[in-house]
Amino acid sequence: MPAPTGLIQARQLAKTYRLGQVDVAALRGVDVDVGAGEFIAITGPSGSGKSTLMHILGCLDTPTSGTYRLDGEDVSGLSGKRLAQVRNRKVGFVFQTFNLMPRLTVEENVALPLKYRGGVPRGERRARALRLLERLGLTPRVGHRPDELSGGERQRVAIARALVGEPAILMADEPTGNLDSVSGAEVLQTFAELHGAGHTIVLVTHDPTVAARAERIIQMSDGRIV
Amino acid sequence: MNLLESLLTGLDEARRHWGQTVLSLLGLILGTGSIVTVLALFGGQTALTEQFLNEVGGRGTIIVSDRERSAHPGARELASKRLTFKDAQYLRDRGAGALAAVSPGWAQQLPYRVGNTSFDGQVIGTVPDYMAINDITPLVGRYLSDLDVRQQARVAVLGWKYADSLFGVATRALGQLVSIGGKHYTVVGVMEREEFYFAAWEDNALEYRNERAYIPISTAIAQHSAVDHLDFLTLKARPGTGAGVAQAQVRSLLYARHGVEDFDIRASGQGAGGEAGQFLLLFNFIFLVVGVVSLITGGIVIANILLASVVERVREFGTRMALGATGGAIFAHVLAEVLVVTVMGGLLGLGLGTALTGVVAHFMQMPAVVSPFIAAVSSVTALAVGLLAGLFPALRAARLSPVEALRYA
Repeated sequence: MPAPTGLIQARQLAKTYRLGQVDVAALRGVDVDVGAGEFIAITGPSGSGKSTLMHILGCLDTPTSGTYRLDGEDVSGLSGKRLAQVRNRKVGFVFQTFNLMPRLTVEENVALPLKYRGGVPRGERRARALRLLERLGLTPRVGHRPDELSGGERQRVAIARALVGEPAILMADEPTGNLDSVSGAEVLQTFAELHGAGHTIVLVTHDPTVAARAERIIQMSDGRIV
Repeated sequence: MNLLESLLTGLDEARRHWGQTVLSLLGLILGTGSIVTVLALFGGQTALTEQFLNEVGGRGTIIVSDRERSAHPGARELASKRLTFKDAQYLRDRGAGALAAVSPGWAQQLPYRVGNTSFDGQVIGTVPDYMAINDITPLVGRYLSDLDVRQQARVAVLGWKYADSLFGVATRALGQLVSIGGKHYTVVGVMEREEFYFAAWEDNALEYRNERAYIPISTAIAQHSAVDHLDFLTLKARPGTGAGVAQAQVRSLLYARHGVEDFDIRASGQGAGGEAGQFLLLFNFIFLVVGVVSLITGGIVIANILLASVVERVREFGTRMALGATGGAIFAHVLAEVLVVTVMGGLLGLGLGTALTGVVAHFMQMPAVVSPFIAAVSSVTALAVGLLAGLFPALRAARLSPVEALRYA
């Protein structure tokens, strides 16, 4: 069911890795359509190609063949530098292991994507970071370093960082994988609230209960959607 | 991310891993410090050598000497009388256009005696021009005159040391008789005491000038030699006449008289400074090698530490790339860290070098100054070493693929 306002339009995506002498197909012709405001989950066992699909959809990697339009722009053949710019403007990432900069404060971490965007004055970067942190209930933590926070707090800082650049799409790779069930539930609640506020979310998980929180599930197996 | 921001980030990173920064800095500080010290000491020595050359009047003179006889000399070579006093007079008459001064010299070890004091010492037979060329002046009395030379006068001008040891007090020698090589000479002048020290612990480099007597060359040849032969011949070109032109003229004039080129002509100034200079040159060279080696070591240490820190932070770089950092931004990020470390190391090294120079100059009584030029050269060297060391790790970080970097455990 391709959405009318197709934010993501991927056609016949294939990705082949070369491992020594043999080619390994991670994706074998995948079509994906995501509309603005959708909350979808990509799920499947490990090795099913869900991570590869997320890397391509998140512009971290390019497909071997097929086309990918993100927010109206064909990004399948872009250079590394252009892809970095697309990631900066259009995609916000949340990782399983949070991936915060250990030596930066919470506020500095959140403002980092705006630093890479260029042209955003320091004051505005700060203001936007603080606004998001407030929205996520992290105001008391702005001056702390990541190792002073709980796992749930760290992941919410990472979500703030993913949102600071006002991306078209939020990509989360096993966002609850490193959290206890309480913190995990909190983080999923945050995603649900963001979805309610109109954010487009693509969540990758192997956990069916996590996937169940999404509106729509893309089930992967052996490099294909099943 | 602009350059200033990259630099600020670099400074921040350097501050945040202090241990690594200090380790990286150490090599750079030591290297820069020793280079600064060496260059400062070397600069001081060079200035001193220059001063010495000016002192001995060696600058801009032309030296003519006998060429070694060939193994199978031809008839003309055998017939030549080699360099003679008459050659010198001929050069003075015919080469006057190009030559300001012609100073023939004759040197021999002869016994000196006054009363019961006697010793063997050097005697120089020469002409008035010698004084001008060698920039020496009498303390009392006068130097040799043209008349002395024409009349083969039995007069002597004593070096300060000989006057002092023969007569107790140097100035008392004036008008006295001294026996040189068994002949009596009247002392008409005593030269000023000449001194020059390359360093406090060195002997007087000009002491040889205090230990001799000057007599007219005509007298020397007539009284102490059977034949007219010179031991050295020093010339000074007229101001405005190129040394090359003057040398060419001297060569053709002498060739005309000898019929064969049995003489060598060279400009003075080379090899002056003597053993003291040689020793210091070696000293400086060793120090310079130490400096360069420590800088290189510093560079390797920086490269290693950075490489380790890049490997350690592969995932961090992957995350930064996911957030939108381009390869160029990552490159700038790593290089900015190096830049900060290098600039700090260079400046601290400069400080250390300046302090060390002061200490060495004070304890060894040597002149040494850290000039702006030296400061610039050593800072640029430190910077170059640092950047070179940082280049590889920075490139490595910049070339990471975001997916692989994120997956890196």
